[in-house]
Amino acid sequence: MKPIDIEAMTIGAVYRHIRGKKLSPVELTDLFLQRIKKLNPVLNAYVTVTEERARADAKRAEKEISRGRYRGPLHGIPFSIKDNLVTEGIRTTAGSKVLAEWVPEHDATVVERLRKAGAIILGKTNMHEWASGGTTINPYYGTTRNPWDLNRVPGGSSGGSASAVAASLCLGSIGTDNAGSVRNPASFCGTVGLKATYGRVSRFGDVPGTGGFSSDHFGIFSKSISDCAMTLQTIAGHDPRDPLSSEHPVAHFSRHIAKSVKGLKFGVLRGYFEDKVATEVTTAIDEAARLLHSLGMKRVEFSIPHMDLIPAVQTVTSRVENVVHLMPHMKSRPNDFSRPLLHRLIGSLMIPASTYVTAQRVRRVICEEFEKAFDKLDVIVTPTTPITAPTIDECKEGFVEVDGKKIALQPAGVSLGTTFTVPFNVTGLPAVSLCCGFSSSGLPIGLQIVGGNFEESRVFQVAHAYEQAARWFEKRPESPKNGGSVKTS
Amino acid sequence: MNVEAEMEEQIRKLNTEYGFNLSEDEIKLIVQQAEETERLLRPLNELDLIDVMPILKVEKKKVKK
Repeated sequence: MKPIDIEAMTIGAVYRHIRGKKLSPVELTDLFLQRIKKLNPVLNAYVTVTEERARADAKRAEKEISRGRYRGPLHGIPFSIKDNLVTEGIRTTAGSKVLAEWVPEHDATVVERLRKAGAIILGKTNMHEWASGGTTINPYYGTTRNPWDLNRVPGGSSGGSASAVAASLCLGSIGTDNAGSVRNPASFCGTVGLKATYGRVSRFGDVPGTGGFSSDHFGIFSKSISDCAMTLQTIAGHDPRDPLSSEHPVAHFSRHIAKSVKGLKFGVLRGYFEDKVATEVTTAIDEAARLLHSLGMKRVEFSIPHMDLIPAVQTVTSRVENVVHLMPHMKSRPNDFSRPLLHRLIGSLMIPASTYVTAQRVRRVICEEFEKAFDKLDVIVTPTTPITAPTIDECKEGFVEVDGKKIALQPAGVSLGTTFTVPFNVTGLPAVSLCCGFSSSGLPIGLQIVGGNFEESRVFQVAHAYEQAARWFEKRPESPKNGGSVKTS
Repeated sequence: MNVEAEMEEQIRKLNTEYGFNLSEDEIKLIVQQAEETERLLRPLNELDLIDVMPILKVEKKKVKK
């Protein structure tokens, strides 16, 4: 076997070597642990590294494989987990001071399923405090850096997971997405980031207070669409411990991934915050649309009549559903919340119950409008984020410069970075972000591909076709010490 | 009492009940944020929602053929 290039490594590229006993899970785990030791002090992607346990799990995996008990493509593969998924025997902080010392006694279902598949958990990744923001500037656990430019944020709230995957500190990661918290950092860090259909993946074992129960989803970070499909295959499916998980049968996600997309229709959404999109992002999305067209897909422009109400619906839904979980902590330990978050939570307590119910009625109207749109479409494409990763300083000031204009990052309602992701938290539709180019300053730009209910296979098929034709995955961030300029392999 | 005064009163009540120790500036800031949120949410009430049931769980039964 050739020397291992850890930066080029994907699950798809290494699992056959592990299965064929040409690559040792112990050596692979060591390689990643060494890299974490070297780069995590700079990136701050991990808040906890479970070195001993990871080595023990890798030894077990190696033993099993050598005895012919190969469990499948994730056997021996290093993963990380966002710090708001509970992990048995491993501290789980949710990015908060309140839970700084909490060590849960059980695993979240997705962690349990990953372990059962033989994946090696390397540790827990940093996140925005209580998953309540999109920067991963955390007052208690430090700021996570974007591997493409250390002066910039990785996005959030699952910023540690995105940074870890982009910098090759693991091969896959699990995050959560209440308003775009997987897809936004995936876009800013140039990784793949998926949230499947609402109910497709069990949310048993999420830390309460880190997302609305009807808008939050667990999601996947990976380096390729095919890796993402393999991971979803492992974690998807009904879980009796999560009453909101779906009994809809799980498809074989990789089976049709390489099928031609010729004749499929992609929708381009019109009339929704187009003026907020940076010119460089618009250009990259237009290029991506042209590429999909060149692959034989048909472009259809469409609009959703009540799209303008989405920020209001999302604001009510996630804030009300979330704050109820945090009220006991707010009462017992108000000083263990950052003040800006505490202010927002107090504001959430003032939203009337009648407004919550009205929002859920409007939500039905919007869901039906999207269902109708999907009668004529196979997928929808949008930018994932209207801008590329802002600097840490811009986030602290609250403004970013877009095409020479100063724009607020956190206006009333949804933040700028989640403008295009929240519609699919409101509707629960499956959506993936993947890289569709780079800005003039070398920052990744994200393309979002959205499917109909439980149409993850279709999303993977279109995303895979785009990914293989565009080949942006060949660009990787340089070693973080250089500040993140782009190199091509 | 106007909306702003009502909000302020509500925040002061919460401040006492929860022991937040909010300063006067913080109370003003939260009132301002709550007003902005209220303005954002106002259009929700302008839609005709007769016969529309709320979504209390995102039902995912319909699958495109």
